[in-house]
Amino acid sequence: MRKSLIIIIIMLFFQLYGCSHDMNRREIDEINLIHVMGIDYKEGEYVLTAIYSSSQGADPEKGSEGDEEVSEGRGSTPFEAFQNLKLKNKKSVSIANTGYFLIGEDAAKKNIEKCIDFLSRDETVKMESLIFVTQGSEASYFISEGIEKGQIVHEDLEAVEQKQQELVTRNDNTLVNILNEIENITTGVIIPYLKAEENSFLLGGYAVFDNLSLVDYLDLDTSAGINIIKNIIRAYPIYLDDDVALSLSYSKSRIKSELDNEQVKVVIHVDFETMVKEVNVNEDIFRNEALNNITEMQNDYIINIMKKATNYSTSSGRDILQIARLVQNQHTKKWSEIEGEWDNMISDIQYEFDVKSKVTKSFILGVGSGGFE
Amino acid sequence: MLPLHDFIGHIITDNIQAYNKLCVFFCILSVPLGKYRYMVGTHYESINRDYIKRLYKEIKRRADMENRINSAWLKKLFEKSNDIVVRPIKINQNNITVHLFCVDGLINQALFDEAVFRSLKFDPYLAQCKTERETMDYLLEGGAYHVFTIEEADYQLLVKYVLSGMVALIFDSEEKAIVYDIRMFEKRSIQEPSEENVMKGSKESFIEVLRMNTALIRRRIRSEYLVIELLTAGRLSKTDIALVYLSNIANTNTVNKIRSIINSIDIDNVSTPAFIEEYLIENRHSIFPQIMYTQRPDRVSANLTDGRVALLVDGIPFAYILPCQLPMLMQSPDDYANHFLIGSSLRIIRYMSMILTLFLPAFYIAATTYQSQMLPVQLALSTQAAKQNVPFSSASEVLGLLISFEIIIEAGLRLPKAVGTAMSILGGLVVGQSAVTANLVSPAVVVIVALAGIAGFIMPNQDLSSGIRLIRFIMAVLAAVVGFFGLTAGVILLITHLCSLDNYNTAYISPFVDVEKRNIKDTIFRFPVKYFKKRPKDVTGNKQFKQ
Repeated sequence: MRKSLIIIIIMLFFQLYGCSHDMNRREIDEINLIHVMGIDYKEGEYVLTAIYSSSQGADPEKGSEGDEEVSEGRGSTPFEAFQNLKLKNKKSVSIANTGYFLIGEDAAKKNIEKCIDFLSRDETVKMESLIFVTQGSEASYFISEGIEKGQIVHEDLEAVEQKQQELVTRNDNTLVNILNEIENITTGVIIPYLKAEENSFLLGGYAVFDNLSLVDYLDLDTSAGINIIKNIIRAYPIYLDDDVALSLSYSKSRIKSELDNEQVKVVIHVDFETMVKEVNVNEDIFRNEALNNITEMQNDYIINIMKKATNYSTSSGRDILQIARLVQNQHTKKWSEIEGEWDNMISDIQYEFDVKSKVTKSFILGVGSGGFE
Repeated sequence: MLPLHDFIGHIITDNIQAYNKLCVFFCILSVPLGKYRYMVGTHYESINRDYIKRLYKEIKRRADMENRINSAWLKKLFEKSNDIVVRPIKINQNNITVHLFCVDGLINQALFDEAVFRSLKFDPYLAQCKTERETMDYLLEGGAYHVFTIEEADYQLLVKYVLSGMVALIFDSEEKAIVYDIRMFEKRSIQEPSEENVMKGSKESFIEVLRMNTALIRRRIRSEYLVIELLTAGRLSKTDIALVYLSNIANTNTVNKIRSIINSIDIDNVSTPAFIEEYLIENRHSIFPQIMYTQRPDRVSANLTDGRVALLVDGIPFAYILPCQLPMLMQSPDDYANHFLIGSSLRIIRYMSMILTLFLPAFYIAATTYQSQMLPVQLALSTQAAKQNVPFSSASEVLGLLISFEIIIEAGLRLPKAVGTAMSILGGLVVGQSAVTANLVSPAVVVIVALAGIAGFIMPNQDLSSGIRLIRFIMAVLAAVVGFFGLTAGVILLITHLCSLDNYNTAYISPFVDVEKRNIKDTIFRFPVKYFKKRPKDVTGNKQFKQ
């Protein structure tokens, strides 16, 4: 018994040891951990720009990181560019801890799948890392501009991520999620885009992809409409004629599809709640009449936002609301009949909205600040 | 080579029965052995029929004498021992002389004078006794002014009683003795437990005196079913061991098994707890403690009412409890003294600490050497920054610091208290800080090892704490060799080992592996007392209801 146990342990040990020549043994300080990677396409080749911390300026006692260093690799494919980047570095390079991938506009226009395919095949990459498109410029420009201005790029991107989490309940621009969306070719892929502002990055709306190539950028309202319909909105400001400002605090949406003679009708039910944030009128808005009025106005406001999203979808023929998946799930049998024609059907989808809301918190002040003027 | 007569003489004094058997054996072998000679000292002596006969006669003579209670023999036996008193006392005019047999220093002198000596010299009724038998009867029927008085005819028992501190009066012609239990020796008073102190609850702990300890238990369980069996272990030490259980609850098989194990212990001296523990545990090669010890009588009584068996050893100030299961070792008396939610929270912290102390150093090694992608980005970057300029690998750092930690603990235990504290400060703070400043270790490793070390001391049972400390090393080595694969293999082996442990027919990690889940109410969570309606099934068998 004891002999067999010892044999099993030894075999287990050698089996584990045999998994790799050296089990990828590498001390953490011998690796350049890439925090942010930019993927660009310029002059007929892919360019990868990596940011990692160097030992310069690191304080071991305080655990503070060193200065950010940038390295670049070029190649005819992203993977070749990555190999080139590895060769240029003194230490080994790892994308295991990369939290953000920035895809330059040109690379996004070329083909998004090509950009992230090599990432999906790396066993160490974090599938939860976020992907952004850089609007109007190359990712390398974003990175170099940021560093020149004294920004710490990965910290700025963390700030962007936090802002994103304040607006939506989940980030749909993770690597794993986008890979899933790419796999479903009938679905219009949308990825958030970043705008470069002075000393910071700003989160824009969604960049829309058609046939895996960047085709359009959506404004914030249209993007918010998508978030409401997809039931991922966390917070959103509502401005009613400059008189009253509210903040959406809770929202729940349900989407139902009806299929009749290849005509798709989508009914979107939304229940939401708001809080009063600002009152600039000289009247008590918490009277029943006024509240009813506000409620109607905020319903219209939200419907308009959602309409922006649906109108874009129907006018462009891109399924940015993932209605195909909905129809597939709710009408499994009929889906097989219309699947081939789906791209042509997107423009004919009829949308109906059923919105209910209430103003939940009035706080202490009943009369708006305008009343005291 | 031991000469034959010395060898046999050695056996005579040790064990008369074995000696007799040996004599018979020699007699049977005498004919074929007649051809051979045996070396005695510098010359050879023939081992033939005559030699065996002579030897047998001598053995018989000495054995006969030994089986009898006789003052002359006792005097001869203990003639070199200064503390053994064998002196004659003439008790009346009928020339009846008894011999006092006791150990100086172990008896209560005042009580001896009052209960024994005074009655022997001045009791008028005793003077009228004409024979030793009459005298004995009178003393046993109330003539002796002491309640714990018995007649003893067994020589072996008599010697044992006297050597444990009792006083005997030898009546040579009757070959019997009257034994008075007037023991008194220096002992500690009952103090607060040093290891299992609680804010709310009893402050009593066991001491080195067995009888005092049994009294502490008896005071808490006033049941006629409480059995305190007295057993003896140690050929020379003849240490008293009390087997304590509730006869109506405890599993008879377990009691019998423990009794037979103690009776089978055949060593000279039961001087340290390990001598008993190693006989009682069923899996000697396992590092996990399979016998629980406690200093607290209330904890023993709680376990007895759950159907477990306790062992009290004379000279050892704590009780052993069997059968022992891992969750018992994670419980503290404080859990039951506090509100059940607080008790549960404390237990969760303990279980978390156990996981932390076992795996944190290994996890650090694996994450910084093999699978750095396991670390969140910020943690990876700060770890990387902390490790800059350190010349050693993470594995060397962690293992080196773990060994240093053990050295500091060991040194702290050996040194006097005042010096120990200073040494801990020197070792922990000064050397630690200096090592970081000199870039010998990274600050992250200091934090990891310190956290693992402190978490290890949260274990209520020190044996468990020591075991976990050793396993921590093994895990760290596995992680150093093959990273998380090694760590995973270590965890699998550890769980397999724990699942395979069986302790007196109960699973060691019961109730986590039980089909019946009711016992889970007193493991990681401490449910309110009203839910403890039944005793552990695997411990008590069918006598389960306690509420």
